[in-house]
Amino acid sequence: MLEVNGIDTFRGEAQILWNLTMKVERGEVVTVLGANGAGKTTLMESILGVHHPKKGSIHFLGEEIAFQPSFHIIKKGVSCVPEGRRIFKDMTVYENLEMGAYPQKARSFLRETVEWVYSLFPILETRKEQIAGTLSGGEQQMLSIGRALMSKPMLLLIDELSLGLSPKITKEIYATVRKLHKEGVTILLIEQNATLALRHSHRGYILETGRITLQGTSQEIMGNEHIRKAYLGM
Amino acid sequence: MSELLMYLTNGIVIGVINAISAIGVSLIVGIMKVVNFAHGELYIFAGYFSYHLSVSLGVPPLLAMPLSIFLIFLIGIGMERTLIRPTYGDEMYSLIITFVLSIVLQNAALLIFGPYPQKPPNWVTGAMNIFGLYHYGNQRILSFFISIGVLLSIFYLIKRTWFGKSIRAISQDREMAALVGVDHLKVNMLAFGLGAALAGAAGVVLSPIFPVTPSGSSSVSLNAFIVVVLGGMGSLKGCVVGGLILGILENLGAAYISTMYRHIFGFIILILVLVFRPWGLFGQKTQ
Repeated sequence: MLEVNGIDTFRGEAQILWNLTMKVERGEVVTVLGANGAGKTTLMESILGVHHPKKGSIHFLGEEIAFQPSFHIIKKGVSCVPEGRRIFKDMTVYENLEMGAYPQKARSFLRETVEWVYSLFPILETRKEQIAGTLSGGEQQMLSIGRALMSKPMLLLIDELSLGLSPKITKEIYATVRKLHKEGVTILLIEQNATLALRHSHRGYILETGRITLQGTSQEIMGNEHIRKAYLGM
Repeated sequence: MSELLMYLTNGIVIGVINAISAIGVSLIVGIMKVVNFAHGELYIFAGYFSYHLSVSLGVPPLLAMPLSIFLIFLIGIGMERTLIRPTYGDEMYSLIITFVLSIVLQNAALLIFGPYPQKPPNWVTGAMNIFGLYHYGNQRILSFFISIGVLLSIFYLIKRTWFGKSIRAISQDREMAALVGVDHLKVNMLAFGLGAALAGAAGVVLSPIFPVTPSGSSSVSLNAFIVVVLGGMGSLKGCVVGGLILGILENLGAAYISTMYRHIFGFIILILVLVFRPWGLFGQKTQ
């Protein structure tokens, strides 16, 4: 579904990603693990057209997207939950969800998708008229996921799902991720929290200073001696 | 007493028109972080357009009005495409460009329209007796209601339509707006056109009351900036309240202190706000 082929991405003068290759198949949950500054967010932003790679290609459903603007890529069926949630703080919860359905195609089934999102996160329905900036961190994360789902994406990119959340809420949100996968959404998780992410995914990649240093099924990665020491603290 | 009421009414009428003009500035600042110094010139051009359309070309005044606003909208879109778009990401460049543009347009107006104040014909004549207290010109009353209509449409546009929501989303987080699928370049362009059109709307509504001259543009821009600062950046409500306060104070000040000092009241407000409440009446206190 998503194929990233040998991309080099820069931020200003600094090269962040080096000849990076990875892919996500339809129906999979894939994790990209990496420490702070490894280039995880840059990888996500390359896929989303925020930073265009200097070299290489990115294909989504067989179509080159590496040099397209973000809003085109979103329309093709990619959606994201960015690091730091980035909800529209001055808009209501409902308006945030509406913005998630901005692409023309999504607007026509807005009412059904809202119901679907409310069924996943009932708290959002009780808070729908509230200004989004007044929600708690966990609720904002749910809103951010809800907003991303409003376009009924085929591929959902999630950056640092657990950042700044209590373990209890993190667990709840991961349970929702599992539910989403069952409903047929393909998911790319970008995480620092290795244990949880690997437990919820099929395959994983380890990203170190902008290069993929290890890949395999989640079991393989969890069994790797180096990974156990560096990421899982075992 | 009836005199005071009349000055108050004047202030309210001018205040509402102030608000329209200020919302034009506020929209553009909010979305693109561009301060449009040429705002006043667009207002002046709209006044001249509606004058020439109705006087020189014989278009009925009430038709000349929307036509002029539409022309200004197109000029705004042209400005964004050619001059403003290349400056995105560098607020300093756009500041210089719109400043230069304001001088160029002011001189263009002088060349094209001449230095004489012009006044489009009134849409209506006569006056009305208000509650048996004082007489008030029908033209001003109609201007007032048209302005209210414009204000209500802007509020509807911003609060309820997809275009308005995308404007609000962009002004909160441009990149995130693109990540939910908003074509921000297109929205920028239309919003700049809309901002310009609002300057134009204020111009056509007010010019039958106060004639336009090429040199009058800078005070229009300054008034709009004062209202935006007073009301608080990015707040529509702030523009309305700020516009009314400025309109009323200017008119009362001009009536009871001196007409000579009409414009100084705005500056006094501006300084007081910047000293005591720099985020304005309805703005958000940020870093």
